[in-house]
Amino acid sequence: MGEAGRRFSFRGRPRTAQEGETLLSALARDRIPLLHRSIQYHRPQGPLCGVGHCTGCLVRVNGRPNVRACRYEPAEGDIVTTENAWPSTNRDLLSAIGFLAPGGVDSLHGLRRPAFATPLFQRMVRRLAGTGAPPTDEAGRALLAPAVERSVDVVVIGAGASGRAVVAGLVKQGVRPLVLDRRLRPAPLPDSELLHATTAVFLPPPAESGNRPFTLLAFREPAQGVRLRARTVVVATGGYDTSLLFGGNDRPGVLTADGALSSVVPGRRPPFRRAVVVGGGSRAAEVLAACGDAVESVVAPTEIRPEVVRLANDHGVLLYPRSLLLRARGRRHVRAIDIRARGGGAGASLPCDAVILAHRRIPHAQLFFQAGATMEWRPDVAAYGPAVLSNGATSVPGLFAVGSAAGASEVAPPPELVAEAVAHGTRAEPSAHSPPAMDAPTELLGYYRELLRTRRHGGWVACACVDVLVSEVERANRAGYRGIEVIKRYSSLGTGVCQGRYCLPDTLLLLSLLEDRPPYEVGYITQRPPVVPTPLAALASLPPPPREGVVP
Amino acid sequence: MTLRRDAYRTVVVGAGIVGLFTAYHLARSGGGPVLVVDRGFLSSGSSGRNGGGVRQQWETRGTVRLAREAVEAYRRFGREFGFNIWFRQSGYLFLAENERELTRLKSVHELVASEGLPSQVLDADGVARFVEGIAPGAAVGGTYLGTDGTLYPFPAIWGVYEAARSLGVEVALGVEALGVQVRDGRVAGLLTSKGPVATPTVVNAAGGWSGDFSRRAGLEVPNVATRHEILATESMKPFLDPMVVRVSDGLYFSQSMRGEVIGGVALPHRPGTARGQGSSPEFLSTMARALVGLLPRLGAVNVIRAWSGFYDDTPDGFPVIGEDPRLPGFVHGNGFGGHGFMLAPATSRRVAATVLGQATDLDPAQFSPSRFLDPRAPTAAERLQLG
Repeated sequence: MGEAGRRFSFRGRPRTAQEGETLLSALARDRIPLLHRSIQYHRPQGPLCGVGHCTGCLVRVNGRPNVRACRYEPAEGDIVTTENAWPSTNRDLLSAIGFLAPGGVDSLHGLRRPAFATPLFQRMVRRLAGTGAPPTDEAGRALLAPAVERSVDVVVIGAGASGRAVVAGLVKQGVRPLVLDRRLRPAPLPDSELLHATTAVFLPPPAESGNRPFTLLAFREPAQGVRLRARTVVVATGGYDTSLLFGGNDRPGVLTADGALSSVVPGRRPPFRRAVVVGGGSRAAEVLAACGDAVESVVAPTEIRPEVVRLANDHGVLLYPRSLLLRARGRRHVRAIDIRARGGGAGASLPCDAVILAHRRIPHAQLFFQAGATMEWRPDVAAYGPAVLSNGATSVPGLFAVGSAAGASEVAPPPELVAEAVAHGTRAEPSAHSPPAMDAPTELLGYYRELLRTRRHGGWVACACVDVLVSEVERANRAGYRGIEVIKRYSSLGTGVCQGRYCLPDTLLLLSLLEDRPPYEVGYITQRPPVVPTPLAALASLPPPPREGVVP
Repeated sequence: MTLRRDAYRTVVVGAGIVGLFTAYHLARSGGGPVLVVDRGFLSSGSSGRNGGGVRQQWETRGTVRLAREAVEAYRRFGREFGFNIWFRQSGYLFLAENERELTRLKSVHELVASEGLPSQVLDADGVARFVEGIAPGAAVGGTYLGTDGTLYPFPAIWGVYEAARSLGVEVALGVEALGVQVRDGRVAGLLTSKGPVATPTVVNAAGGWSGDFSRRAGLEVPNVATRHEILATESMKPFLDPMVVRVSDGLYFSQSMRGEVIGGVALPHRPGTARGQGSSPEFLSTMARALVGLLPRLGAVNVIRAWSGFYDDTPDGFPVIGEDPRLPGFVHGNGFGGHGFMLAPATSRRVAATVLGQATDLDPAQFSPSRFLDPRAPTAAERLQLG
């Protein structure tokens, strides 16, 4: 690590970031400071995902609110402050709201009387709502940049392992795709053009005619608009690790495997020393392989697979298979996690400084939903993924899926076949695997059935972005409202910054139990554009499209 | 879901705010048993997709009066229905970019003021006081009515839904209305996806799909569904009180109770419901250009969600309220052109009155379905089809 760095201020104190280091990583040298408080009850919240989706690392940079510290590389002279806490995130008096209303503030029925006080209540509630203060004019103007507009043959979205394999196959066939990758600094990609730090946010269904029927909107950090027209789109966006319902599941120190792995920097110790890894499958194995020395135990809602047991033994890690996670202890940071063996077994409190959720990984499926592809229920993870043929073709002509965006590794189409189909328009063949049966059991459903029976859980957080408690979901159910779409509108769950990414997967299972029907019958929140929060400056930089095809 | 009876006094098609309010008023006036059918879930149509604006600034006296009554009803809503709809009367501000637009707004102002509402005409400085950070020269002036406001649509739906049900109204969700049974030249029943039900009265409150449903009943109507898109940003601390509407391009936006900026802009659109309630790249970029051009600071704000809903447009811009003269028993409560939520509390009482055979105070030349059957063109039109 060189001496030269970028000097910036954090809450008025000087800090330094190394070249290529994110703000979150620079702030987390020893331990991540408390960056964020939850929106309503002002609980301490930490970065959950580390990959730019959750609310846990939102800060204000140079007068711009809601900047994700995990997606921002500090520049010399930056001024970074925290938001929505008074007087500071460390000692926030507004957290009294959470103590005064432990069952949650009922904004649907409450604060209606007396009538003359309505304007006063409204002013008060409005002042308390909202994360950051609005941006300054300078912050808005600083982001304006000319847009990227391109017309290409093939776009590949995602330069992870599968995306790279498809690109290599395409290059071999003489096709030079344009590749988008969300990472701020992906490894270079030989023989192909790579737009880094670029997130695809909107892929509407293709036009009915034309050489390049797809229009793809994306943006490049910090706020450059990207609009691509393409003949073929290959989606290799991978999957993400979900959250899990337990007490204190948004406490600083609780993070997904995505978040843990993104915080592991070669040559540096991870920002945790004694972590508990949740999950007994391949993702848990990946976490152990990357930072096993900083892990003390593995707790799995279901069984623990042999590969995890082997790695755990190598690192002297304790194993707790088939366990209920009850509660993360610790106010400003996780200190311990309370667990209990399933089937009425013994309980334990495991001291730890991080809880790493690696139990369930689901496809990043938004672009497929947007494009109108046929979706398939995946009972093993209780989520949707695109229906794909053996060569990666989806039901939308010209739209292909590869890697874990398409499904688990056993069913994902081989990248070489996808590349060949993209290059030569190979006829789609029936899939080698048969689609999973809708009603195959979801193991996590049994876990939740047991968990919700054995524990007072009303105060648990169902939606960390908007601060919706499990009791509010249960109240909506008792009032007779059914289905995720209605529960979403009744409780506001899933309407925050992550747009349901981290609350929907668990709420589906919760509602499945409350409504006594399979999770796929509970419905699914419509996946609306944009895929991630997108700066208005980026969208505004796109010139008006030509008027062709628009019927006034 | 199976229906509880095989015959009803009235069947309302559409469980949006218009249909639910109509059923509520019917049940209160002893017009039961009432059935409401909707093929979607509660709030799946435009009632769950609008920007929550409620205004009284209109170009005709008839509409201004209905809107004023609706505002009073929404003020009482919390006490009457037990739900807090967060109806915040912090005004509607219409922006004019040039003197011609300002002249037009002033004529609206005169009408609104003559109805006793505290409308104001603002110059450029007056506008800037209401819209902190507005780009210099973006508006020459505008009009402002402080008793207009915004509400949160969902609790309004839950409130009327629960009140109607507690009065005995049956609401059947996931049930589609397929057509009308006619006997002796009048309505005898409704065909649904769950089978036929007998009823002498069908109310068409199907919002964006009301033209489709009237045509299924064999009635030619001029209603046209047009898709209108909308977006929401991340939430911020309050900086904007009124709903802002720009006359030139139909840009409208407000900052919600939760702090999100929510709004839309007019786009050229293809009529019909076939394309569904999705979004378009054109809308996102057009809306972003309009917002950032007016308030440059918003460039540094993130959009988190975009969606759309259908306006149920009529040729003259007025809703259609009353019994169809061609088919006795078929009652219209539709054609709101994107303003059903604003007017529903007032218009639905009158739709219910029509069903019960009572006279209403509505000018037939402006609101009745027979106005489209008259070969002579209607005399007035509402062109303030914004926000």
